[in-house]
Amino acid sequence: MDLRRRRARTVPPKDRGWRTIAAVGVGVGASLGWAVLALALAGTGHAEDTHAAAVSQKDVHAKMQYCEVCHGPSARGFVGYYPVPRLAGQQVAYLENQLKGFSERKRANNIMFNVGHVLSPAMMTALATGFHELNPPPLRDAPIELAAEGKKIFTEGVPAADVPPCAGCHGEDAKGNDQFPRLAGQIYPYVVKQLTDWTKERHEEASEIMQPIAHSLTPAQIKAVAAYVNSLE
Amino acid sequence: MKAVGLQLALPSAIVAVVLSAGSVSATESSAVSKREVDAKISYCQDCHGPQGQGYRGFYPIPRLAGQQPQYIENQLRAFVERRRPNPIMSNVAHVLRPGLMAALAAKFHSFNPRPLGGAPPGLAAKGENIFLNGVPEANVAACAACHGPEATGVGEIPRLAGQLYPYIVRELTYWSKERGQIPSKPDTSVIMAPVAHSLSRPQIEAVAAYLSTLRK
Repeated sequence: MDLRRRRARTVPPKDRGWRTIAAVGVGVGASLGWAVLALALAGTGHAEDTHAAAVSQKDVHAKMQYCEVCHGPSARGFVGYYPVPRLAGQQVAYLENQLKGFSERKRANNIMFNVGHVLSPAMMTALATGFHELNPPPLRDAPIELAAEGKKIFTEGVPAADVPPCAGCHGEDAKGNDQFPRLAGQIYPYVVKQLTDWTKERHEEASEIMQPIAHSLTPAQIKAVAAYVNSLE
Repeated sequence: MKAVGLQLALPSAIVAVVLSAGSVSATESSAVSKREVDAKISYCQDCHGPQGQGYRGFYPIPRLAGQQPQYIENQLRAFVERRRPNPIMSNVAHVLRPGLMAALAAKFHSFNPRPLGGAPPGLAAKGENIFLNGVPEANVAACAACHGPEATGVGEIPRLAGQLYPYIVRELTYWSKERGQIPSKPDTSVIMAPVAHSLSRPQIEAVAAYLSTLRK
């Protein structure tokens, strides 16, 4: 009944087995993720009176646990009513950019708008860093027989249809860079849905690059590429 | 037995087996006959209501009508394996063969009676907001993300639309005391644990009231 007391025990004992990987991941993220620490220190130092909210490790942990309700243990992705993407290993700049996009309605998604608009910039950075540090094995949920064709499209593009090689921006290993997202290990139905519905959802500046590419890919090519990137570590 | 179990995982195969059951049941002990399914459905209806719409007995007994077949099958197995300890349902479930579980799940999924109703008035609007948007500042995820915008569920994620108010309140209140009780066999119930813990009592009541009125 007491909300604060209930929230204080966010990790019930019997969840510990399931949460071990996540907890270890967060632990590693917190010790290695100097960005989180730096922000927290900076926050307590001088930022308090300027409203730049500092984030405590406890708040970050609780928020990550909340994210994992939908994004799966260790944020490896989860298929609920919608495919919910893998965040583990994702590029920090991309995650921050998307969270801002959701909260400014540049990327239309009601659920993620609600999630994003209560986050302070410091919390966004801390979450992005925390998820970037996680590295659980990918969910293998793709028709693997399509991966060979997908690899060809990913590395060579489809010049006849004006589709450039995905590797050009996302990297040979599909790990992404800065605002270019990591695709390696992303869940299959999510990649298919994004490439199929690109302009229905995305309006932020960086997404313009992908617009003509998503439109030029056929449904079969989209499936092939999605299967290939899902197969990557 | 195993082959039949696998075959029955496909809904189309269930229909085929149920339809052809007249001739099959005499020869194969593991196949399910229509008579057997009908008898068992009628037995379930004693407690879960004539159309599987749920019933307020001594305990709130959940609506099964329109429920996701995979969810029903998973719960029946959870009762057998005591992942979800419930003396009454353990007894019900442990005599069911996999083929019969699949047939029952498919049958209840096909029912669509009116919700039973009976929730306290005036809570539904607040509940709708929590269901669709979550409570981000309290780290409560939006229910709709997994259960769908109309609360129909998908796969192992249950339908909540039309579910009994007291049943939802009870489940959310006692989640971790009832679900996922065998740590070595974690199931999808772990996803809900932090959500159920983060919700306050008034929030639980509001969500339950909203869901209990939904018709789909």
